[in-house]
Amino acid sequence: MNDWQRKSPLDWETYVNKMVKVAAIEKHEYEGWVLTVDPVSASIVLATFLENEKVSISVVLGHAIQEVEILKEGDDEMKQRLSCIFAPEESKAYSPEEEEKRKNALKTWLETNHIPVTEQGESGRTLCVAGVLTIDPPYGPEECSSSNEIILSRVQGLIQGYLEKQQ
Amino acid sequence: ATMPVPVPVGVLRLPRGPDGCSRGFSPTSLRFQALLGGDTVAAQGARAALRQRYLRGLAAARGRPTRFCLRAGVQVDAVFGAADVEAVAFQVDALRTPLGVQAAALLRCADVLAYSFLL
Repeated sequence: MNDWQRKSPLDWETYVNKMVKVAAIEKHEYEGWVLTVDPVSASIVLATFLENEKVSISVVLGHAIQEVEILKEGDDEMKQRLSCIFAPEESKAYSPEEEEKRKNALKTWLETNHIPVTEQGESGRTLCVAGVLTIDPPYGPEECSSSNEIILSRVQGLIQGYLEKQQ
Repeated sequence: ATMPVPVPVGVLRLPRGPDGCSRGFSPTSLRFQALLGGDTVAAQGARAALRQRYLRGLAAARGRPTRFCLRAGVQVDAVFGAADVEAVAFQVDALRTPLGVQAAALLRCADVLAYSFLL
């Protein structure tokens, strides 16, 4: 394990949204804006903006990193641009009333099927299923989060079926 | 009456994993160190945010032509398939090698120095 891999997540976080030069083994060098550092492998994900509106993404594996030099800090506009690169696709926007209706309909359906569900978070917009899975607006399969892959898969399937029956 | 002799059961030896540690995870990995604890709430929050962005990055890479920089100056092109949880290997499709195109292949993370793709 090298010095870079031994850093703490808070340390790695300080490199995000900065332009850096990464010196890797075998004399390779990479430059770009830091999108993130993977805490599992300490790999750096860099973005380079090309002339034709395309973005080149380079990932330098943690075990190959020798030194990371910060060249400059990104301004607010750059931070905004970088945060959009991997952002999940915008789903259809619902009004607050429609969102509330969808939430209540799904909650009722889950309860009818004997699945324990509670509301949580600010203004109760997030549904919590069996204490291990959360569903954010607009309450589709893509908005489910859980650390248990099996439960996640099952609930996503249930919601998919529920939504299809609604059509 | 004598006890029936139990029939010996064949021992199934699983093949060694790509990193040689067939136990499924490495005790020295960063992930296991984190599991042991010792991280503050702030550090764990940072860890989660960084990891989520990384996972979204992997999702964005899926299906895209990717160039992998291996050791000793070797470069190969392939279509990005998937990465595993422990950062042991990458699965790729249509790997172009000097011997031809492999429909599907695994690249060991230890052999890969960097990879890049276009969005």
